[in-house]
Amino acid sequence: MNFRNILQEIEKTDPEVYERLSGRRHILKSFSSKVAVAALPIALGSLFKKAYGKTTATSAFITALNFALELEYLEYNFYHVCNNTGGLIPSTDLPGFQTIEAHELEHINFLTAAVTSLGGTPYTPKNYNTPVSNNPAYIPSGTYDFTAGGIYPTFTSYATFLVLAQTFEDTGVRAYKGQTPVFYGAATVLQQVLEIGCVEARHAAHVRLVRRMTGAAAPDYPAPWITNNIPPIVPLQANYLGEDNVTQQGVVITSLQDITGTIPEASATAAFDEPLDQPTVSTLVAPFFLP
Amino acid sequence: MDKSHDVSRRRFFQLAGGIAGAGVLLSACKRSGPTDVYIGSGDTALLNYLYILEQVEAAFYTQAVTTNYYGITASELQLLTDVRDQEIAHREFLKTLLGTSAIPAINIAFKGVTFADRTSFLTNAAQLEDLVVSGMNGAAPLFTDTDYVTSVSKMVTVEARHSAYFRDVYSYNSFADSTVINSNGLDQNNTPSYVLGMAENNYILTRFDSRLLPN
Repeated sequence: MNFRNILQEIEKTDPEVYERLSGRRHILKSFSSKVAVAALPIALGSLFKKAYGKTTATSAFITALNFALELEYLEYNFYHVCNNTGGLIPSTDLPGFQTIEAHELEHINFLTAAVTSLGGTPYTPKNYNTPVSNNPAYIPSGTYDFTAGGIYPTFTSYATFLVLAQTFEDTGVRAYKGQTPVFYGAATVLQQVLEIGCVEARHAAHVRLVRRMTGAAAPDYPAPWITNNIPPIVPLQANYLGEDNVTQQGVVITSLQDITGTIPEASATAAFDEPLDQPTVSTLVAPFFLP
Repeated sequence: MDKSHDVSRRRFFQLAGGIAGAGVLLSACKRSGPTDVYIGSGDTALLNYLYILEQVEAAFYTQAVTTNYYGITASELQLLTDVRDQEIAHREFLKTLLGTSAIPAINIAFKGVTFADRTSFLTNAAQLEDLVVSGMNGAAPLFTDTDYVTSVSKMVTVEARHSAYFRDVYSYNSFADSTVINSNGLDQNNTPSYVLGMAENNYILTRFDSRLLPN
């Protein structure tokens, strides 16, 4: 870790950081002369505290983590309700969805603790009835409508359940990616956010494989990865807009060499998951919340 | 002693004595020979490190498609080819980012992998993908230029999808079991030096001078 670069990064996102502190030259001087290299992480921690207190960086972290929490609650309750709806999920597939439900609950607990440790108030859903552990079949009510006002036969059609599960997971992957830049420069949280994103991606790949094995066909003929911007059903197109991006850091992936020619669009788009910003994700999931 | 090696040694001590952190000092304990391929320092070293991993993956699946496992279905062959092409896209992307700083193509040998055997291929594929996921998660926070972090974040979830797929084909519903996901619901991370060491031991004949690889 390069201290000079860390300062450059903070400077990029907060040009006034040196005014908050006491001038770049002074900071560098005091670090190079007085602070042992091994003590740097601790020293940096106190530096950030001095610069920001609980104002800029911390409140941005809290906002981003609470947004993640909102999505995790949605996913957890979706799986909790569906896993306990008799006749919906075949017994061979149920263990996989129970694994996913358990992860979403772990994410809720992890993110809640993270927000609390930053001095924030963790998000809790409006009108929420927490599922009780000694009655796994208990269905929380008051917060969500997983049929989106009766559009989706979520609890009677396994195919529909799978379509929504895939879309929630793919959108979750994109939402975490959209929040990642908030944590640039904060190594530990950044890494943890990436790690949660990977778990959501594993879920998405699994649901997509289940759909492939159950014979889901047009429009997507699902693979475990997202090809172009193809949704599982046309009404969910908006969740996949932008997934057809073929340019990464100015490099046009479809112009690069493959084995036999240039890389096709299908591979170029599937090889990269794309971010979605918070307002877009909030709009996409809004139909699944009760007013 | 080889002259270029001498230069990299001198650069190393200059940097280590200057602003580099404790990770560099630790990795100085690793011995490096005169024929080792120098992967650079800072972001360049991290990109070359990822480029090494993507070269391994692309070679692994190119071999796997050519000598595919006994009993492979048409659907499985299609998805295997998809994975190969996505890894090639990653490899070529990183090579382009690196430009003239890119290391040459490396020598790869997959010891102990029987590509024609379903179990051998699938377990090794999942192991390789899990290693790369952990390696990308470990490397991302070490970049100075955050544009690279963005790109890594876009690729690492695709690697996680690959792992989940091969795990499921090998053992259904094992896409995210407790061997890779901890009790906080988090995937794995490992330091670049650990992951590179694992890759060198298991897949690579080329040896690297990675003493300036951030850790």
